[in-house]
Amino acid sequence: MPITENPIIEVRNLTRRYRDRVAIQDLSFTVGEGEILGLLGPNGAGKSTTMKILTGFLPPSEGSAKVAGFDVSTHPMEVKRRIGYLPETPPLYPELTVHGYLTFVAALKQLPGRAVRAEVERVAGLTGVSDVLGRVLQNLSKGFQQRVGIAQALLGSPPVLILDEPTEGLDPAQRAELRALIRSLAGRHTVLLSTHILPEVTVTCQTVLILHQGRVVAHEAIDTLAKSHGQAENASLEEVFIKLTAA
Amino acid sequence: MRTALAIARKELAVAFTTPWAYAVFTAMAALSSFFFVSLLEQFQQVQALAREHGWSRLPPDSVVYRNLTDGVVVQLWGVVLIITLFVAPFLSMRLFAEEKRQKTFALLLTTPVRPVDIVLGKYLGGLGLIFVTLGLTLVFPVLLSVVGSGTNGPALEWPTVLLGYGAVLLWGATCMAVGLFISALTESQMLAAFLTFTVLLPWMLLRGVALSTAEPLRSFLNYLSFDTQLQGMIQGVLEVQALVFFASVILFSLLLTHRAVEAQRYA
Repeated sequence: MPITENPIIEVRNLTRRYRDRVAIQDLSFTVGEGEILGLLGPNGAGKSTTMKILTGFLPPSEGSAKVAGFDVSTHPMEVKRRIGYLPETPPLYPELTVHGYLTFVAALKQLPGRAVRAEVERVAGLTGVSDVLGRVLQNLSKGFQQRVGIAQALLGSPPVLILDEPTEGLDPAQRAELRALIRSLAGRHTVLLSTHILPEVTVTCQTVLILHQGRVVAHEAIDTLAKSHGQAENASLEEVFIKLTAA
Repeated sequence: MRTALAIARKELAVAFTTPWAYAVFTAMAALSSFFFVSLLEQFQQVQALAREHGWSRLPPDSVVYRNLTDGVVVQLWGVVLIITLFVAPFLSMRLFAEEKRQKTFALLLTTPVRPVDIVLGKYLGGLGLIFVTLGLTLVFPVLLSVVGSGTNGPALEWPTVLLGYGAVLLWGATCMAVGLFISALTESQMLAAFLTFTVLLPWMLLRGVALSTAEPLRSFLNYLSFDTQLQGMIQGVLEVQALVFFASVILFSLLLTHRAVEAQRYA
């Protein structure tokens, strides 16, 4: 497990149960400032649950999670101010225009009134939705809707971005654009992204965290992952992933 | 507070782009004008009878038809109260239920917005909708005072009319508060509307139940009944007790909504 300096996300012994079912169990990891961490795991491994706890959407059953030094249970507002979150389903109001929607989210994030216009244009430019600002969300394609969801998370440049399957619904060209965008955020933002498209992780992330049945099975820099799990050095992430989650 | 206003504005923007709000406005306008016309006809009939036989020979309860205020407008407000009971659940049902179904509730809960701002914003948006709906009925007294004329002075006693209208608005605000709370409990708009209706209607009709009970239960039920509380104000008598009663119902509903929003995190 890599040792992180200046951890911005600290998760300690985190457990979450839904009634009798355990979604994540005794999860501990840290993410350093400016790092891009890929959260991997088969469906139902606890990726979304972990992200929901970090954003303050779900309370943990046990353990603690801290973002920028603030505990999500005791200082939820401070945490929410520092996070941009894209949930699994982009939270869009189908009746609003892209511009109206982004302005509304800017108000929710309490960005200063004068800066809103410029900020909306900035994130629209970054995510490539500048041309559809006047269109109504329900008439946009899935790809555009997904990008508006990402634009919403970027509003106000929060130091931590938590993106739940951000490339979902995008075509290959758009995926490549998004990967480039996420890589360009490295250093200034800390990004936690989940995906089940493995090659995505290899090109975007520096570190991977593999979850299986609610537990951490690997937390490693991409380059050293294969070696430390007893595979040939040139083994692909896919091979390592299958081996670790086979149980 | 700024975020609450932003939420209220969003609520109205969304409502005015969907056909729902317009359907409700149409229903309110159509039903209230239908009753307005029939109340006017009734008024004219009684007036004609009175001219023929004199007021003293008419049944004593026809005395309300001596002037337009009591004979038409006060009666109309009574009808509008009932229409409001039927249409308000359709305006309040989507306030929270739709956010949950669309998964946009996650946005409200993961941005730095306090639950109290979410509740206030939603309620203000709901108030905006019901006030627009009820605003449509103001046209009737205006019409009467423009077209009609009294034997001595203006056709309408405006203080009575406006106080009655205040009661109508207060009732609308109460319906929305109850509806807001119920909407916060479910993902289904249909269920929210239906439950709101099943809470409001018996509450309104509690006075009827009170008639068949003995004291002290009778006074108690009478006090709780929306209908009893509204009667005074509708007829132009300002009652502090009624104001306190409705303010408490609204405040209590909002507090419950606040709890429901907070509890969402623990679902």
